[in-house]
Amino acid sequence: MDEQNEQIAALQSGSETAFRELVRDNHHALMAVAVSLVGHSDAEEMVQLGWIKAHRHIGAFEGRASLRTWLTRIVINECKMWLRKSRREQSISQPLEGDSPLGDRFKPDGHWQIPPSRWHYDSPDGLLMGRELADCLTRILDSMPGQQRALLELRDAGGMAFDEICNELSLSASNARVLLHRARARLFKLVDHYQETGEC
Amino acid sequence: MLKCRDLVEHTDALLAGELSRRQRWAVRLHLLVCHHCRRYVRQFRDLLRSIPRMHGKAEDAEVDQVMQRVREARDD
Repeated sequence: MDEQNEQIAALQSGSETAFRELVRDNHHALMAVAVSLVGHSDAEEMVQLGWIKAHRHIGAFEGRASLRTWLTRIVINECKMWLRKSRREQSISQPLEGDSPLGDRFKPDGHWQIPPSRWHYDSPDGLLMGRELADCLTRILDSMPGQQRALLELRDAGGMAFDEICNELSLSASNARVLLHRARARLFKLVDHYQETGEC
Repeated sequence: MLKCRDLVEHTDALLAGELSRRQRWAVRLHLLVCHHCRRYVRQFRDLLRSIPRMHGKAEDAEVDQVMQRVREARDD
């Protein structure tokens, strides 16, 4: 039995310890998804309602997706219901504007003007986990347009399938690819600058 | 021949295995001669690997608050 199966078995047997660990591991990531969809002021309530639903329905979880993906779907549904009720659904959809965040790093001939600096890290796992980087990361994520951040949170942080994200956010695949590229490029630029200067 | 700017735009598709054989060949050729882009692709790939962990774990107080609401909803 692998680790996720053991965790699911414990959750479905009603273990509070297992549910606490599930909350500990996923709460921040789910908050980030909710912030990208409904904003800071309502995100916490959406995630809380999501946890109540997850606790109620964990017995029906079949393990076809990862627990993170399953939880993310629940939170997306809570956010969409809330947006429908408050008639703010249009706030999910925003026009595509602007250039690539790394556009200013190239010369007019298309070659690097400011090439990436050499990053120093022991393993990729810890690259974004430094305490000093945390504030910069929060700031850059908060400054991203909602859809851009949602793409990054759902695809790269949550591992959700690209087609499913397009469906949930009512986006064409080509627009979604542009938004995801921009979100990643902004993150790359942040880390590159931080690695070089130690500042945001 | 690809420019560095084109390479950066192709990197998402390269790492997702979504480039055509011809595009892959053009990318490989560019990477062979451009160490800045080799560094970009390597660091970009590592950045993507680090994103799932970027939010870290919740503190005890946050977990307690969630569990309190879960218990209240269950007992309703």
